[in-house]
Amino acid sequence: MPAKKKSTTRRPPKKAAKAPRSRSAAPKSAAPSLADALAEAAWAEADQALAEALIECDALLGAQSKKQRDAAVSLLAQALSRAARKRGLSRVGELGLAEKYDPQRHELAVAVAKMPRKVRIAARGVARGADILLRPRAAPVAPKARKSGR
Amino acid sequence: MSDWTLCIDFGTAFSKAAIVPTGAWSRFDPVRVRPLRLGAHDGRGNAFLLDSAVFIDADRVLFGRSAIARADALGGKRVALKSFKTLLSVSDLDRALNTNAPLSVDPHRIFQMRDLIVLYLAYLLAAIEKARSLDTAIAGRIARRYAAPAWRGGDSAGLHGTVVRLFGEAEQLRARIGEALLSDAGLDINAVTRELPPAMERAQPLDMGLIYEATAAAAYTSIGLDDNASHLLVVDMGAGTTDIAALARIGNRMFELPEARATLKQAGDFIDRVIANRAIDAAKWAKSTEQKADLWAYLMRGMRETKESLFAEGHASVRYRDKMFTMSARDIEKDKDFQAFAKELKEAYEHCVGVVRDDAAARGRTAVEAVAVGGGASAPFIQALIASKNTRGSRPHVVPRPATPKWAHAPEFRGNLAPVFPQLAIAIGGALAPDGMLATKGTFSPVAAVRNGNRATRD
Repeated sequence: MPAKKKSTTRRPPKKAAKAPRSRSAAPKSAAPSLADALAEAAWAEADQALAEALIECDALLGAQSKKQRDAAVSLLAQALSRAARKRGLSRVGELGLAEKYDPQRHELAVAVAKMPRKVRIAARGVARGADILLRPRAAPVAPKARKSGR
Repeated sequence: MSDWTLCIDFGTAFSKAAIVPTGAWSRFDPVRVRPLRLGAHDGRGNAFLLDSAVFIDADRVLFGRSAIARADALGGKRVALKSFKTLLSVSDLDRALNTNAPLSVDPHRIFQMRDLIVLYLAYLLAAIEKARSLDTAIAGRIARRYAAPAWRGGDSAGLHGTVVRLFGEAEQLRARIGEALLSDAGLDINAVTRELPPAMERAQPLDMGLIYEATAAAAYTSIGLDDNASHLLVVDMGAGTTDIAALARIGNRMFELPEARATLKQAGDFIDRVIANRAIDAAKWAKSTEQKADLWAYLMRGMRETKESLFAEGHASVRYRDKMFTMSARDIEKDKDFQAFAKELKEAYEHCVGVVRDDAAARGRTAVEAVAVGGGASAPFIQALIASKNTRGSRPHVVPRPATPKWAHAPEFRGNLAPVFPQLAIAIGGALAPDGMLATKGTFSPVAAVRNGNRATRD
């Protein structure tokens, strides 16, 4: 081990410039470019999965048998799911689940005269972080008829 | 006093780096976290990941993606040197460094392992310098650290000294060769053999701190939280080993509980083999050794994606020529070797939970947190382990933390950090951690084992 010596880090000396106004040296305005770079990186990985999805889409359209069709559907779904994960997309809602209707969180699958109290998820939605890109489609649940004779 | 803190993470497959303004720990703002685009010069794939690979061609030395692409193009006849991290954590590092590179890696028989690691580190330092220059927000003095698993064997100080010496040699080489290191065509072997010896001779150890990976995980998990517990269990399933470590924070001091440390030799690579073996067993048409070897190589090339689908969806399909394989998580769970690993992991985890709970209870704490990190963090059996109810039966409770912390979803990132966070996590956590959490503050300061009396060994 060599004897103790000064740092070998070769960086230009800190300029005697204005002291930063914020609490740290980094300007906040730099954040968007980082977000864009992160998005680009995520897209680079998603592109590969989307390319695979396109190939499986062709395989599905040209399928001659149920076996070929099933294989293509399975691989197409897998490639699309992977592309979605790389872009931070996640599914919202659980198929078939009945829950309290919230117009902010559900897209009604049918036209109704009166807002339903409960709905059942017919198709899942998609979110990206806290942003819901597509709300789950939901069908109204008919209220249970009250039993008479009591 | 530096303006920024940089942390380098040697992943087995990729290297990553992140930089934060000094003092980010005490004045945390997610927007200040800046992962570096180490692969930006390459233009292929994810710009934040730098492939850990060196390839010795007929008359060139190639790095990163170019190295892997060239090895692939040769159809497996020659291999690129990868997994530097595994080499850097062996107990007899000096001996490992002084061995000749295998013939499959270096057909010319001119390089030792040390030479190849220095070459790769020079490439990495050049990529860091390039990435730093691309980010106009980063200016001023930079303090450097690297993240590593807790060393095996007892000589942490010696190993750290060797690593910073290697970095010093690499920095000298980078200064001599410059951006040519980042060229897609790599370096001329004659130029390498001319420049490497004087660079190594004149080098001084680089001034760098060392942070253990578990500590880096604790840093990014607990930063910005008002309600985080004093004790954290980290389950880190990487490629080569699955490590469990426990950290306790008392005031500003963070220390490891050495009795709650465990390393299992099965991890991501082991899971890969289990998956490939199951697929080959199911491929009744593959009878000859050649057919099986070809199928094995094909499965391994796409294993990252296969494993990702298997972990996320519970099943995965692979198309191989006119055949298709579908496997489920249950298929893997039926494997005898996997069952033995899962049992051993559960026992080790429960032992560690017991140790941490005892320590937390003795200090009057009511909760312990658990987080999974590394490539296997999303594996259902790892998530089930840290969320298992049998660890919540008595006080202090074990509370599972998400692999991606809430702050990574900050609106400023517009949803773009969270998908890549697991890969960048250790570099980010290592940069955020205050000096008090480091195993070693600089090249010449004593390692944790010396400083605070904790064993800095593993196994």
